[in-house]
This record gives sequence, structure tokens and C-alpha cells, in this order.
Amino acid sequence: MRNMRTVLENEILPRVVKPLRYVGTEYNSVKKDWDSVKLRTLFAFPDLYEVGMSHLGLRILYHLVNEQPEYLMERVFSPWTDMEQALREQNIRLFSLESYRPITDFDCIGITLQYEMSYTNILNLLDLGKIPLRASERDDTYPLIMGGGPCAYNPEPLADFFDFFVIGEGEEVILEVYEIISHHREKRQGQQDKKILLKELSKINGVYVPAFYEPVYDNGTLSEIRARENGVPARIIKRVVRDLDKAYFPLKPIVPYTEVVHDRIMLEVLRGCTRGCRFCQAGMLYRPVRERSAKLLAKQAEELITATGYNEVSLTSLSTSDYSCIKPLLKVMLDKHEKDKIGISLPSLRVDAFSLELAKEVQRVRKTGLTFAPEAGTQRLRDVINKGVTEENLMEVTTAAFEAGWNQIKLYFMIGLPTETFADLDGIVELAYKVLHNGVRILRENGKTRQPKITISVSSFVPKAHTPFQWERQDDIGLLQEKQQYLKEKIRDRRINYNYHDAELSLLEAVFARGDRRLGSLLQKAWEKGCKFDSWTEHFHYDVWQEAFQELNMDAHYLANITTAYESVLPWEHLDMGVTKEYLWQEREKAYQTAITGDCRFNECSLCGVCQDLDVSLVLERKDGNANAGTHEIL
Amino acid sequence: MLVRMKYSKTSAGRFMSHLDLLRTIERIFRRAGLPLAFSEGYNPHPKISFGSALAVGVTSDGEYLDVELREEAPLELLESKLKEVSPSGIRIIELIQLDKREQSLTAQINMSGYIVKVPLAQEITADKLEQFISSVMAQPSLCIAREGKKGIRQVDIRKGIYRLEGKIECDEMVLFMEVLTGSEGNVRPEEVVEILRKTGEIQLREGMQIHRTGLFVKNDAIIKTPLEI
Repeated sequence: MRNMRTVLENEILPRVVKPLRYVGTEYNSVKKDWDSVKLRTLFAFPDLYEVGMSHLGLRILYHLVNEQPEYLMERVFSPWTDMEQALREQNIRLFSLESYRPITDFDCIGITLQYEMSYTNILNLLDLGKIPLRASERDDTYPLIMGGGPCAYNPEPLADFFDFFVIGEGEEVILEVYEIISHHREKRQGQQDKKILLKELSKINGVYVPAFYEPVYDNGTLSEIRARENGVPARIIKRVVRDLDKAYFPLKPIVPYTEVVHDRIMLEVLRGCTRGCRFCQAGMLYRPVRERSAKLLAKQAEELITATGYNEVSLTSLSTSDYSCIKPLLKVMLDKHEKDKIGISLPSLRVDAFSLELAKEVQRVRKTGLTFAPEAGTQRLRDVINKGVTEENLMEVTTAAFEAGWNQIKLYFMIGLPTETFADLDGIVELAYKVLHNGVRILRENGKTRQPKITISVSSFVPKAHTPFQWERQDDIGLLQEKQQYLKEKIRDRRINYNYHDAELSLLEAVFARGDRRLGSLLQKAWEKGCKFDSWTEHFHYDVWQEAFQELNMDAHYLANITTAYESVLPWEHLDMGVTKEYLWQEREKAYQTAITGDCRFNECSLCGVCQDLDVSLVLERKDGNANAGTHEIL
Repeated sequence: MLVRMKYSKTSAGRFMSHLDLLRTIERIFRRAGLPLAFSEGYNPHPKISFGSALAVGVTSDGEYLDVELREEAPLELLESKLKEVSPSGIRIIELIQLDKREQSLTAQINMSGYIVKVPLAQEITADKLEQFISSVMAQPSLCIAREGKKGIRQVDIRKGIYRLEGKIECDEMVLFMEVLTGSEGNVRPEEVVEILRKTGEIQLREGMQIHRTGLFVKNDAIIKTPLEI
């Protein structure tokens, strides 16, 4: 047999688009001796290399596992269609980037579940590896298929295809999982007995083996999720890192040869967000807020810069302007690295004047665009969703931005939110024009000839599991499209760029985000009909999805547009992410009363349940959590 | 401090575009802890300038770039530091210090050497290949079609081919060529192969491998590398 790498490098890679997606061997990538380890694992990202390599979770787990002498972890991404065609034509199994081995050579394949519209790619990836799609069709010789990531909090649509899921923060649990698997195999001369192994894995907190649970339907309605195996937990509780300072963080991350989506150092400053937006799944899943100490961050930044050679550090989190030591951290980092022209970017800024101060600080090196997310057009609706942003905040921040010389501002909004009326859409239009006219005035007063450019980006509300809006319906697709057109007709100014997401895609997201196990066959049907890369416009074929729905006699609209009651059994009810169902319902009730809930960092505890039930607590660098208060020294 | 660096591009390195390479070189210098000099302005860029850009997919044993550093350092130290932090596919070969900023690399370089392997569709003897190449090179003009902005035009590349030799290895024809490169014009190795193919006297298959042996400064019969001038 010819060497796989030679065949690929000489015959296949020269013919495909962007061959660097498939070469591996990047700086800081880890290729371990195959025979020197007890367990060989693979991290699979079901999207393109450029997308997957921009994902911090991959980097954390990859380097954490490879730092263990007994395990190795390699990577695989979805090949683009030209590469897929070449592999299928030449009958080459999908291979890992490090060893160029077929993915079936690995003991365990972990697939990350980042967004619903990557699900068809998961099936395609297994198929390219010649791995039977359904867990029940895979005997003991196949790798174990593990799932994790945000969509694992409602994994039911994928339950048929996975052997097990990990619920919660991966770095907290992955080594326990590998320990069990490698111990199990060691006792059996490198073989596995899947049924026994899964039983052993189910003893780990946070591990969910779907085959051990059975959904019970009453007249087509889910009435119970019953454990059908003795000794498995009734509820699976998420795993959570208590102290981010002690958690593993990779300081020698891979540096891709070619540009990826987030082509910079990603330094996680805090995890979680307690602002409490009622539509936001991440805000509920990643509680409580845990900040990393500024001293450690400054040190990590320095090491990362030396280890990668990147010229930009992104301080990542769900809301970086909420980091309580952000100002002193920025000062230390800028003072240290400005001479080497190392920029700092703040990817997620709150809508307020303080955030703009920060943006002004970091543009000392490089100027980047500004993006804010008011999410809704009126104060009433912003209160409904608990987005603690006022029109005054928005005008303040945009005024300061125009005064500081920015002329491009991007604003994110969502349509189809619960209780929304057309008056709320008018609110979006009014805000857009108000920001624009304010910008025109300020730029003119400052003698600038350039016109401001406002981008209004509008997505459609998708009800997500484990949020206060999990019981809410999505607007009918016709209404969403009508709303999109309504805005289009009202926003008629060439200085405002209006764009919106495909409503058909949002509909499918809603179907899968709240879907149950019956959706597995729909997913498989759609994939069989050729669906993949659904989140890529050029590959999204809604008509094919519609055919799949029809053939299975399923109704997409019914699944997305249904409102459920508090008493209903939800498909993810047995998965516990700490925030209680009572709290979520209470938040839903408050939404309908247009009542807001404060952030527990600055107000009293809102008793969401995470700290009480999971024995964790808020970790803040400044005890009052108030980043706006005067600066203090951190080093 | 102005430094000229010779490096090679192999395996994964050959799939890097010019932009990929630019970013990678900057990162190598940063990882080595060497203080790059930057351009002024809103988006500061490191002062790195390359010789002739290499097409994606082509390997090379002799690529060059000039880079300006903010501080002086011994060349041996630079070399060892850079080698330590280069990714697989990019190998640092040699560094020299330039006294002052003379002509840019692109202005100096005017010739490339290539080795091109082309799979044969039909056997041919070494003697016949030699005769065939001599007869092609004996022609006063060799025209190929180039696609430009104004459509396809015919270009005579005979004067841009300084040397062309061939041999047979297994079922492949191996060509050694020296051709015009740089501001005066470029002859691409694929074009030379196309000329041979077009005669109809040799049957070639798809899938050639192109390797650049180096970039040179040719002054009549005197050929030097960019490190020697």
C-alpha cells in the first residue's frame, strides 16, 4: 500500500481548493507516537477547517489531552465538497490530520455540537469514515462516538447516532471519560465490550448514554423519559469548572498555515454571563460567572504571543466589557505589547459608554469595526427579553464612537420575539435612523466628509432549550418573512445596510433546537437526499428538507410553532444544567409582565439554582464586580 | 538592521499562498523574539519584502526575502532562533546582513531554475528526448497563448528560456530549465512543457510536479544567487 500522505499530497491536494485545510503539521500541532499511548482519540468538528480551528473548545481539549502521556488526540474536519468527491472517487476513508489514518483507527471520536445546522455534516463525516450512522448498527469494533458542546444540552435529535454525550464543560470531565475507556480496553487486550463500557461511562457525572433511556409517548406527546437500564441516574447533571484560574488553558495553541475565521490568539477572560437575556441559551448554560485573574491573564497573554507569533489577542467571553478588571488588564497588555504592534480585540461589547472607552483604548494599535446588540427596537420589548439596554445607552455609545472617529457601526436585532408587534419593528427603523442622523451631524461638525455607514443585521428568534423562552413558539415562517420585508421597505437609505437571516434556516434551527428523538430519522432522510453544509447558503436546500418532512409525514411548522405548557415534558427534561425549571418559568412569566431581573453580580441573588444545586459560586476579580469603578493596580 | 534570508518551501509549505506565507514569516520572526520594524500608519505592517512569488503547489529550495529589524543581532543567533520556530514546510537556509538598502529583491532577481517532472503517456528514449529538445530550442521563436485582461494574446518566450535539458526517469520526463523571471517578464515552467506538448512529438499525461531550484541574478553569462551579489 502506498503511503497515504504521499498519495494525498501529490495526487489529491493539488487538485482541491485550499489544500492547507487538510495537511495538518501546523506549528504547535501534536503528532504523538501511535504505539506509545494507551488510548487514541479524535476530535471531529463537523464543519470546515477554517471554522473549526476558530473554536476555542477544540484547542482547549486538544492540548489538554495531548499533554497526557497516555493519550493522544488528533483532529478531523468536514472536507469541502471537492475533497469529499476526491475521497469518494478514490475510495479513501476520511482521515485524521496528524497521522493521516482513517478515522476508524481511533478508539473514541468526540464530535462537537456547536450549532444545529451542522447535524447533517455529522452524518456525512461518519459516512466518509465508513462508520455506520446509528449507534445500534455499530458493533464492538467501531470507535465510540461521543458528543459534547452547547447542543448536547438537548441531544435528543442526535440520540440514535451517538454512543454517549458529555453534558457541561468538557475540560472538567474528558480525562475521566478517557480513563474509563482506556482501563476498560486494557483489561480486554485492547478490545471493548460496548454495552459494558457504556454502563461504566454512565457512572461518570455528566455522561449521558441515550440508549439507556427511552422516551415514552402518549398519543404522540412525550409523557416521560424513562431509564430502561438499572443503575443509571434519573437526571444527568452538567459538569462545571469551579475556578477558571485552575482550569487548563492551552499556552501553545496551533497556528494554522492559512487564514481561519478567528485568526488570532483567543484568551478567555471569563466564562458565563448573568445579564439574563431571556432568549439566550449561552447565558443560561454557562452559569455562574467565573472570571480569570487579571494577573494570570496578563501572563498568559505574554506566553501565548511568544508561542504563536500572532499579532492580535482577542479577549474572549460572552461579554468582555463585563470583566471586572478589564481596564487595568488592557492597560498592562497595551503598555507591554504596543511596541511590537500587537493589537487587542474585544469581540463582545455591551451597549454603553464604558464599552466605548475600552474600544478607544484598544484602537491605539489597530482600528476595528464596532458592533452592538440592542436586540429589540423598543424599550418595552427590550424589557420583555431582559436586555438591560436603553435607547440612551445606544445613543451615548454611538455618539462617542462617531466623535472618536468611527464611521461604521453594526447593530444586531432579533425579530419574532415573544409579544413582538409591528410597533417594535418600527422601533428598529427609528433607532437605525436616529443613529444615522446623529452620526451625520457629528461627522459634519467634526469636519469629516465621510458619511456614516450603519449596518442593521436582523436574525429571527429561535426558541432554545434551557431558556425562559423554551416554551415559546417561533413565528410562522410567513410572518417572519413579512416582517423582514416590512423592515426592508422602511429602511431606505443607502447609508444603512440592512441584512437578515434566511427564515427557512431559522425554522429548521427551531425544529432541531427543541426536537426530540423522532427527529433522528428526519435528519438521516435529509442527509440521504444530499443535505450537508446547511449553514452555507450555497448548500442549503430547503426544498429538499421539505421533501424529507413530507416523506416522513412530519410537519416542520407544527414543531417550530408550538407553544408548550409548564406541565409538558420537554425532551431535555432529564438533563440538568443547574438553572431550575421553576426559575426559567418565573422568568418567562416576568417577560409577559414586562418586568426585568437584575444581574446577580450587582444585585441580590436571583436564585436561578446554579450555585445552590451545583455547589459553585460567582468568581469575580473585583468583589463588587463593577468594572466602571476606578482603576486599581493588578501587577 | 537589514537581513536577507534564503529559505525553502516543501511539503505543506508549497500549498501556502503568498498571503499565507507573509503572515507565517511575520509569525516566525515574532516567535523568535526578533523586533520587526514596521511601516507607519493606521495598519502597521512589518517591513518584509519578497523575491519572486511562488505559485501555489510549487516546491522550492531557494526563496528569498529581505526584512528590517529594529535592533542589531549576530547573524548566527538570528539563524538559530528562526530555525527553532519555523513550521514544517518552511526551512530557513541562510542569512546575510545587507549594509544598506540597495535594489529590492524583485528588481535584482531575473532568472529562476526549475526541475519539472511530467508523467509520460508513451515511452521515449533518452537520445530521442535530447534530439527533440535541441530541435525545439533551435527554433527562433516559441509562441504560447497567454490570457490577459484584453483577452488571449500570443507571446514569444524563446528568448526567456536560457537552458532546457531533459532526461527520463522511470515513466517520467524530468526537465531542467532556467528561465526569465522578474520585472522584465516571466516564463512559467508549465508554458515550457506546453511548448513541448504542442509539437505532438511527445505524449504527456496530466499531473506534473514543479520544483524551483532557486532564484538568480543573471548578468550575461555570470549567474549569482541573491546572497552573492
